[in-house]
Amino acid sequence: MAAVSAWRGRLEETALAPIRRTGLRYWALVAFLLAVLGWGAYAYWTQLRDGLVVTGMRDRISWGLYIATFVFFIGISHAGTLISAILRVSQARWRTPVTRMAEFITVVALVCGASFVIIDLGRPDRVLNVFAYGRWQSPIIWDVLAITTYLTASITYLFVPMIPDLALFRDRLAGRTSRWRGWLYRALAIGWDGTAAQWRSLGSAIGVLMILIIPIAVSVHTVVSWIFAMTMRVPWNSALFGAFFVAGAIFSGIAILIIVMAILRRGYHLDEYVTEKHFLYLGYLMAAFAAIMIYANISELVTHGYKMEEGVEFHFRQLFLTQFGALYWFYLLGGLVAPIVIALLPWTRNVRGMVAAALLVTMAMWIERYVIVVSGLRVPLMAYPPADYAPTWVEWSLLAAGLALFALLITLFTKVFPIIAVWEVAEEGEASTAAPGTDRRAVPETMELAGGTGR
Amino acid sequence: MDHDATGRAIAEPGDRRTREPGTAAGGPRLGRRRLLRLLGLGALGVAPLPVLPELIRAAGRDEPVQGTGDPARTRDGRIRQWVMIIDLRSCDGCQSVGQPPRCTAACIEGHFAPEPMEWIEVFEADLPGGGTQFIPTPCQHCQNPPCVNVCPVAATFSTPEGTVLIDQDRCIGCRICMASCPYDRRFFNWGDAPVPPESLLADYSPEHQVPVRRGTVMKCDFCPDMARAGTLPYCIQACPQRALYYGDLEEDVATNGRALVSVSRFLAENQAERQKEELGTKPRVYYIPGHGEAVGRDVFTPGREPTEWPWMERAAEAVTWQR
Amino acid sequence: MNPMIRRAIRTVFASLALAAIAIAIAGPALASHVIVSTTAPAEVTVGEVLRIPIALRAADGGPLRGTSVTFYLHASFAGVTGEAEIGRAVTDESGVATLTYKPRLAGHHEIRIEYLAPGESEVEVATTAFDATGDVQLYRPAPGVSVPGLNVGLLMAVLTTVWTILFGIALRLVAIARAGREGSVPASGDAG
Repeated sequence: MAAVSAWRGRLEETALAPIRRTGLRYWALVAFLLAVLGWGAYAYWTQLRDGLVVTGMRDRISWGLYIATFVFFIGISHAGTLISAILRVSQARWRTPVTRMAEFITVVALVCGASFVIIDLGRPDRVLNVFAYGRWQSPIIWDVLAITTYLTASITYLFVPMIPDLALFRDRLAGRTSRWRGWLYRALAIGWDGTAAQWRSLGSAIGVLMILIIPIAVSVHTVVSWIFAMTMRVPWNSALFGAFFVAGAIFSGIAILIIVMAILRRGYHLDEYVTEKHFLYLGYLMAAFAAIMIYANISELVTHGYKMEEGVEFHFRQLFLTQFGALYWFYLLGGLVAPIVIALLPWTRNVRGMVAAALLVTMAMWIERYVIVVSGLRVPLMAYPPADYAPTWVEWSLLAAGLALFALLITLFTKVFPIIAVWEVAEEGEASTAAPGTDRRAVPETMELAGGTGR
Repeated sequence: MDHDATGRAIAEPGDRRTREPGTAAGGPRLGRRRLLRLLGLGALGVAPLPVLPELIRAAGRDEPVQGTGDPARTRDGRIRQWVMIIDLRSCDGCQSVGQPPRCTAACIEGHFAPEPMEWIEVFEADLPGGGTQFIPTPCQHCQNPPCVNVCPVAATFSTPEGTVLIDQDRCIGCRICMASCPYDRRFFNWGDAPVPPESLLADYSPEHQVPVRRGTVMKCDFCPDMARAGTLPYCIQACPQRALYYGDLEEDVATNGRALVSVSRFLAENQAERQKEELGTKPRVYYIPGHGEAVGRDVFTPGREPTEWPWMERAAEAVTWQR
Repeated sequence: MNPMIRRAIRTVFASLALAAIAIAIAGPALASHVIVSTTAPAEVTVGEVLRIPIALRAADGGPLRGTSVTFYLHASFAGVTGEAEIGRAVTDESGVATLTYKPRLAGHHEIRIEYLAPGESEVEVATTAFDATGDVQLYRPAPGVSVPGLNVGLLMAVLTTVWTILFGIALRLVAIARAGREGSVPASGDAG
């Protein structure tokens, strides 16, 4: 038991470390992110003052970078669902050190994504009309419903498994931290002291949530794709769109998780828990989804391209040869083929390789969203010359601000909440070290350790 | 670090199970009373949902204008079903007049449409056998309107008269209607477009869309207010070749300002078509195929005069943009 | 072309046109050599097909075959008053041409009938009238396909299910909090 206890103690110290010590580099990062956000706020103020005329969007290409970024963020929000829910349901134990990060990516990405819809509105002052006059027929209302449900469920799903860890923080930091923190942990730990009844309630809550959140997540990205697929634009007219978007969402979610994992691992010295194994497993998953994406693209392009209906020829030309050629080829080769190659080659099959692949995928998936939105609108509907779209400095600034907001929220989160699911890691670690081959049923005993308080 | 030092107890294996019966209250099993309480609380939680929209509406500004009260009716009291017929045989894109298309110009002047909005836009399309034809294209006023289907706030809506209007006091500017319109007939107020000052004094109505509201969508409204008052839409009045007809499907009559035609007969006799019929949008704008032959247009003379907005100089400081 | 000839042609056309107008105005009276008989239908409903036969016979009583007949309806719309062509028919073996028409307005309708008898150069005119009743709306915006059960109710049912489950989870959290307070430590936050 002593070895286990020492291991546990180290784990808890690792989880507590970000809260105990805050370096200058951290504040520099926060300051930098705040500066980018401030710049974004200035850009948005410009847009509010002058109208959307400050963007590159016009009547014929009436959506652009904002909507692409919205879809991108909603996409990466699927990180939490996949890692946390799907892997939890399938009892993949290696997930435990990274679940918390994945769940937090979900919540933060949803907040960022939703804000891009507001940014895109011509009349953000009337956003409440969506609730006052909502029409059930509109895909946007489906989005509002699905995303609010998903956000609620994700916050719950982030919070519920965190309760024992919050109790740990409450107990370990009591009197040794600021008053608001003490109050926060006391409030959020909701009186957790690891009784059997509490463990049972917690277990059943997690059990229900992890099942519930999967269909919600699938529905979210399906209805996001329906914003496009329910219109009469040639390139968007596809029954595959829902599944295609969900696959792309999980794909980009894994990528962003790998990146966040790498940064937090380095920043908070989590090497013992977030190991190369995690990067490799996630990298393999990402490669598998890259294969699904390649399949979906082939299916989509061949069914459209074989028949060459009105507008498809123009679309293919702009996609492969002219307007979007460079972006699209980068997406196909750099974003879909490269991750598979990186996962296959032995000398790139390591943390560095997987992080590089994840960076490629993240960029490629943003580009894919951008190309889908803009190229879909660019196909001329009537006898007019095709319009062009280039984002302005306002749009780029707001994209930067969105990414900064994403990074900032995660950065701040790591300083307040446990970034590692201590009790779950302990459960997995102790189950495998103390009693190898122990059945999962035996786990509650060690779980008791995690959240136990001075009774 | 030792566990006991941190003040936490180490639970004995089996401890949980022995304590379980005593902590049934916190367990997940649902007793009947618990279930009832759950349902009751659930009902309480859901009950305010329908009230919420009302509260939001009450907290909002003035109730946005929707519709226009009573629809226009025929002499015997049935609701008019507005329709437009465009005789392409007589449309030469105003080449013979040597001016920008008169229909577009009249519409712009009548509605104070900001630059670069051409609510009725004269497209020049290639003919399959060479040469071009001119196609004046207003909003098609679909009977299965994709824009109305997707609007999240019912800011764009179908009227009993079969037209599609936009309430710019409700529009949130999400532009999904623009993405879904297969005819490119919707326009957005990207900024404060130049408009004559007198337009700002007008009483707003979705049937006229004056004055403009930034950040909202606009389009051809079929001028039902004018038709109700017994005059024809600006574009119909202005067409020098009398190629545009405005009418009522219900009474089966249409006019180009001079002659009267029976809509059903006129359409059937002349092999009328609708744009992109295959989409199933069921437009209320019909076209009689042609390329200006009735007014002697040479199909190999391409080009039309570019549209102009007469009040451009009057508002020099205003923002402008291109389509 | 010689201006003289042109002027002569113009004069001929002008007089022909004048004659045509004169004949058109006094049509029925002058066209006494053609016997026109129409049967005005008794009951006419708006929106239902109406057949108005018109029989043309020569003065000797023989049917006029193959004569083209055009029907016009007097109408007024958006400030324009005039006549709209509502049908065209050719007389058959027995000299009968039938107008097939769906009246679209209740009330009195006057129909003008024009025909050009064989061998004649002037259009001749006859009239007929009928009264239509009915107030059924003929055109409505199409509602699309309505599938029973596929409506807002289904969406609400799905949403309610999801939110009820979420609410159930909230109850679990309440249970956790209560179990904590009922534990041996009165205010667990104070521990340590």
